[in-house]
Amino acid sequence: MSTRLGRATVLLLCLLPGPLRAEEEFHFDAAAFEKKSLEWGGYAELKGEHSDINQDGALSRLNLYREPRSTLDRLGATLQLDGSYTRGITSFNWRVQGSAAQDDLAWNDQAELFEGYASIKAAPSTTIELGKKTFKWGKGYAWNPVGFIARPKDPNEPEEAMEGFIGAGLDLIRSFAGPLRTMALTTVALPVWQGVNEDFGERDNVNLAAKLYFLFHDTDIDLLWYGGNSRTTRYGLDFSRNLTTNLEIHGELAHTPRQPVRTLMTDNSVTTHDVADTSWLVGLRYLSERELTTIVEYYHNGDGYNTEEIDRFFNLVADGSAQYETTGATTLLDKAASLSQLYSRPQPGRDSLYLRLSQKEPFDLLYFAPGLTAIMNLDDHSWSLSPEAVYTGFTNWELRLRFSLLNGAVFSEYGEKQNSNKLELRIRYFF
Amino acid sequence: MGRKMILPLLLLAAWLAPSPALALTAGEVLTKVDRNLEPESSEMYRKLINIEPDGSKKEFVLYSVRKGRDKMVALFLAPASEKGRASLRLDDNMWLYIPSVGKPIRITSLQSVVGGVFNNADILRLDYTTEYEPTKMEESGAGYLLDLKAKTAAVAYDRLKMTVDKKALVPTRVECYAASGLLIKTLYYKEIKDFGGGIVRPSVLETDSPLYKGYKSVMIYASIKKRALADEVFTLNYLPRVEELR
Repeated sequence: MSTRLGRATVLLLCLLPGPLRAEEEFHFDAAAFEKKSLEWGGYAELKGEHSDINQDGALSRLNLYREPRSTLDRLGATLQLDGSYTRGITSFNWRVQGSAAQDDLAWNDQAELFEGYASIKAAPSTTIELGKKTFKWGKGYAWNPVGFIARPKDPNEPEEAMEGFIGAGLDLIRSFAGPLRTMALTTVALPVWQGVNEDFGERDNVNLAAKLYFLFHDTDIDLLWYGGNSRTTRYGLDFSRNLTTNLEIHGELAHTPRQPVRTLMTDNSVTTHDVADTSWLVGLRYLSERELTTIVEYYHNGDGYNTEEIDRFFNLVADGSAQYETTGATTLLDKAASLSQLYSRPQPGRDSLYLRLSQKEPFDLLYFAPGLTAIMNLDDHSWSLSPEAVYTGFTNWELRLRFSLLNGAVFSEYGEKQNSNKLELRIRYFF
Repeated sequence: MGRKMILPLLLLAAWLAPSPALALTAGEVLTKVDRNLEPESSEMYRKLINIEPDGSKKEFVLYSVRKGRDKMVALFLAPASEKGRASLRLDDNMWLYIPSVGKPIRITSLQSVVGGVFNNADILRLDYTTEYEPTKMEESGAGYLLDLKAKTAAVAYDRLKMTVDKKALVPTRVECYAASGLLIKTLYYKEIKDFGGGIVRPSVLETDSPLYKGYKSVMIYASIKKRALADEVFTLNYLPRVEELR
């Protein structure tokens, strides 16, 4: 009897899932994760997009006037390779991205070295970095007015890697006991020469930028400065603090006393004038009890165009489109195209609002995160709304389905975009 | 003197010698629990496994270092999709660094960077004595039962009910409650192992939660070592370079 009972117990224990079989189920060989001098990884991505064209929009009339169409399909692939090689106190780090895409109109491909730099760690408190590196300064999620030596962020993809600039940096850190816990100084020398950082600003200059960080009374504070002749001098301040365990507040303030701004005038001439640009951002991040993360940010772009200035650009495109239809001439459209980098960049206006909602694992669906991103131009009340669903349940795979709807009145930012909506499926495999 | 004196002396010695059960206050038990779980300055490797109701698993490997009672950093080594992510905790402040984002962002203790039942406060757990005050201790058989109350509202769980193994002075079970009295999760410390260097502690931490019915998360500890670390390692500027500590 007791033998039978014993066997039955053993059988039951074997069948039971969970804690009772912990010893058999869970094994961890830490030796397999020992540090290697060469580390590498990255991801491969496949992305399919279908866009409905806003045929009355200024940007579709500007970009697609030779081949007007109602839809545009695009299939693209991206490969990103990251890695590092460490020898003693020196490490070499790189991030390379290559992409290719075929849409209904053309084939595009490119390869960029996003980052490639040597890091010399003389001590935990002192690091020297030489090479191409991304310096993402600022506390904002969607925008960073104090990102003085970074490329502009795309608020639709704020977490994506960006191309850096070539420079030399020195990082000094000191820790303390008391209300001031940390103080850190980052200084960067950024040259602009022929073939080096030419897209940063005026050539044949060596520029300097610095960031002084404090962790003071549980608040992150940065004082930022940029000086040099490639761009005009600018000053910045940012902060971030948890108000409660689930509520964070952050902000940025950037001041450029003399910021040159190119503006289209009513006679279609272009003038450059200096403005005292004060841009700022304030944001909140809130996590609800049901694990809904809300990020909201208000951004004032001090050197952005007012609605009248933006209207002039859209008028120029409308006139150019009419000119092309009646005479076949493209003079006005060519002029508009030369200004489109200024007027069709993300958030060319003065005041914008960003809202992102992300729900972690609703209905107990592990690794599933639906989200919603809304960006509104507060000057003309146009907006984009992008619901999405992300699934990361398959190890090293990420699937994202996103739909973007753009809406606005005539001559508004989102009312004149090239697309009226876009459906996008992105599949990434990390290795 | 002889035999007549031996018995009274033995009785006196027995009376003077405090029994182990009565010798420790709740605060002392908690302090010993902290030191037995991890040395004050150390590095360790952990594997975290999330198990879904259908038995499918997702695994994460973390390298972490800690110093003192309020500083900790965790770096993800696997899977590839998470590799390079690093979290820093300095007292109640927490940040997450994602390589592609390129800068640390502030996070909250209740969030989970890996999904599953463990949240950031579990992964970057500080000493219990740093965050909790014992309010009551009872003895039951081979264990102590401690009631712990969070010292501030910034702590992830408002109250803990901790069962401590009397002999090993390590926790065996910890129930975590919200301020509302809701049971958020239960932690089970298991499989005591000798890690060397005088570190003898549970090597497996399991958790389940009534909020995630059928789901379970497990943390397996390996290679815990004492290590001297500079304070500057636990700063935002150092966070992107944590890998270089390994």
